[in-house]
Amino acid sequence: MSRISIDPITRLEGHGKIDIFLNEEGDVANAYFQVPELRGFEQFCVGRQAEEMPVITNRICGVCPEAHHMAATKALDALFAAEPPPAARKLRELFYSAFYVTDHTTHFYALGGPDFIMGPDAPPAERNILGVIRKVGLDIGRQVIECRARNHQVIKTVGGRSIHPVAGLPGGWSRPITAAERDEIVGIARKNIDFALFTLQIFEDLVLKNRAYVDLITSDIYTHKTYYMGLVDGQNRVNFYDGKVRVVGPDGAELVKYPAKEYASHIAERVEPWTYLKYPYLKNVGWQGFVDGPESGVYAASPLSRLNVSDSMATPRAQEQYERFYETLGSGKANGRYKPVHYRLATHWARLVELLYAAERMLELAMDPEITSPDLRTKPGTIAGCGIGCVEAPRGTLTHHYETDGRGVLTRVNMIVGTTNNYAPMTMSIKKAAQQIITRGKVVEEGMLNRIEMAFRLYDPCLSCATHAVVGRMPLCVNIRDLSGAIIRTVSRN
Amino acid sequence: MRTILVGLGNPILSDDSVGIKIVGLVKQRIPEHAGVDAVEAYAGGLRLMEAIAGYDRAIIVDAMKTGIHPPGTMQMLSLDSFTKTRNTLCTHDGDLATALSLGRDLGLAIPGLVEIIGIEADDVESFSEELTNGVSRALPLVVSYLVRRCGF
Repeated sequence: MSRISIDPITRLEGHGKIDIFLNEEGDVANAYFQVPELRGFEQFCVGRQAEEMPVITNRICGVCPEAHHMAATKALDALFAAEPPPAARKLRELFYSAFYVTDHTTHFYALGGPDFIMGPDAPPAERNILGVIRKVGLDIGRQVIECRARNHQVIKTVGGRSIHPVAGLPGGWSRPITAAERDEIVGIARKNIDFALFTLQIFEDLVLKNRAYVDLITSDIYTHKTYYMGLVDGQNRVNFYDGKVRVVGPDGAELVKYPAKEYASHIAERVEPWTYLKYPYLKNVGWQGFVDGPESGVYAASPLSRLNVSDSMATPRAQEQYERFYETLGSGKANGRYKPVHYRLATHWARLVELLYAAERMLELAMDPEITSPDLRTKPGTIAGCGIGCVEAPRGTLTHHYETDGRGVLTRVNMIVGTTNNYAPMTMSIKKAAQQIITRGKVVEEGMLNRIEMAFRLYDPCLSCATHAVVGRMPLCVNIRDLSGAIIRTVSRN
Repeated sequence: MRTILVGLGNPILSDDSVGIKIVGLVKQRIPEHAGVDAVEAYAGGLRLMEAIAGYDRAIIVDAMKTGIHPPGTMQMLSLDSFTKTRNTLCTHDGDLATALSLGRDLGLAIPGLVEIIGIEADDVESFSEELTNGVSRALPLVVSYLVRRCGF
């Protein structure tokens, strides 16, 4: 069997490697995704006081510390049996919405957007944020930077510290906001809404009005029919901060909806002999391999997944965009709700619908009369011995699970991070993209690396919390290997 | 001239924290309000660019992994030598050179002088707050060098 390796993958956080194995005919038999293993996180944590976790786990990664801080804080709520008061919940969600605005904005303009705005075959030197800004205008570039800056300020104000927040406490939040700070956040949220609408307009003008891009999005190369996972509120609407985990099948029917603390009853991890990565799958469906369909327990957890598991969006303008998304790309309704969209490249659009939702939700919360309440803490009760916290990280459902002794000292730590959920679907997406590019041993080199990367990038994988970054300016190298595994040729970009 | 000294890395990933530790030590040895700000940073790309905007000069201290130098070796790097450092690229938004170009395009006050100091790391894949021995032994010399480089 021949093997092609792409190592490492550009524009992904962390250091990854793709191995593509060819069969005797020279066609793609399998494609595997590898990342280096980081050692010893559990040992690093065991023996510490559990309440350190919100500030430890947020250091796993420089990209989404806010998500880890929040999942850890919620795990402590459960561990110390302290349900936070309503104002604390609202303030946490306000903080988290600001984080989503910055994260999704940055992804669109810097990471995912270049493929569409510059085109998938544009030279790598142009296919980046510089190229995007030069194409769409410097003024938009300034707006991107301003959007990041103003929301980083909100994160700092509400979270108590920039980048690595500290305000999360078991049963609450340590940093109330003043009326003046609230007023400032209201203004920022309004700007965010305008910016999100503007970004959706750019997507409309540059992508949806371009037939070639719509064809690319809806092409079979980037389509997979799997299960989807995401948190939903009591009315089955998208929620990033809290709710139940809902899983729907490829036909859109609900498979299960469960409280996050029951994750172990629903998620199992598949171990393969060729990698130390573990592939989460739906336990009650079962593992059939890296395949689509209702019989396969493979699921995705992403912006697209979150829209697919929901009945609607909780804010009005995001709801309009949600409907437009499904009316444009979907295949109608079943049992009163839209059937899932399976086009994985549509994840980029779904992310922008979520951007608008995050901005609108931020405004709702900032306008809530309770948001300046100083009543932010429920005194911790008994130590339950086990605490599980779950949020939607931008890259998928994030679960922290801690176990402690009677003093609250950690004895076990388990995390399923956003990206990990998507290991199996990412592997499948790479394989499918590779199959289009490599046939009978022939490799279409033009744009090959980027076409395969696009299959990845839409998931916005963050390998640094699954592993961690070992990065430089990443060279990209494809090794094509023969049946014995020996390299028969190399395609590389530096 | 306003200088920012940035320690870049992950504080809980063994030698990856070397930049942060060095900058913390330098901070203790330079006077406050003397034109040099010492900060920690955890991600490259846009975040790093945003952190150093507004200064005349930026000195970035980061772990590097060349595999050819003994752990603890210090090397001056240029913006062109990013393949050697660990963190100046944030693949969620791009590398520092691109981010700096963007900043200039947008009219931000990007430092005219950006110096990158790489410290060869040994272990950057194990969670620990401690440095490995080879890297740890290099600290006093690097700290003294940086204090002088900052003009003190």
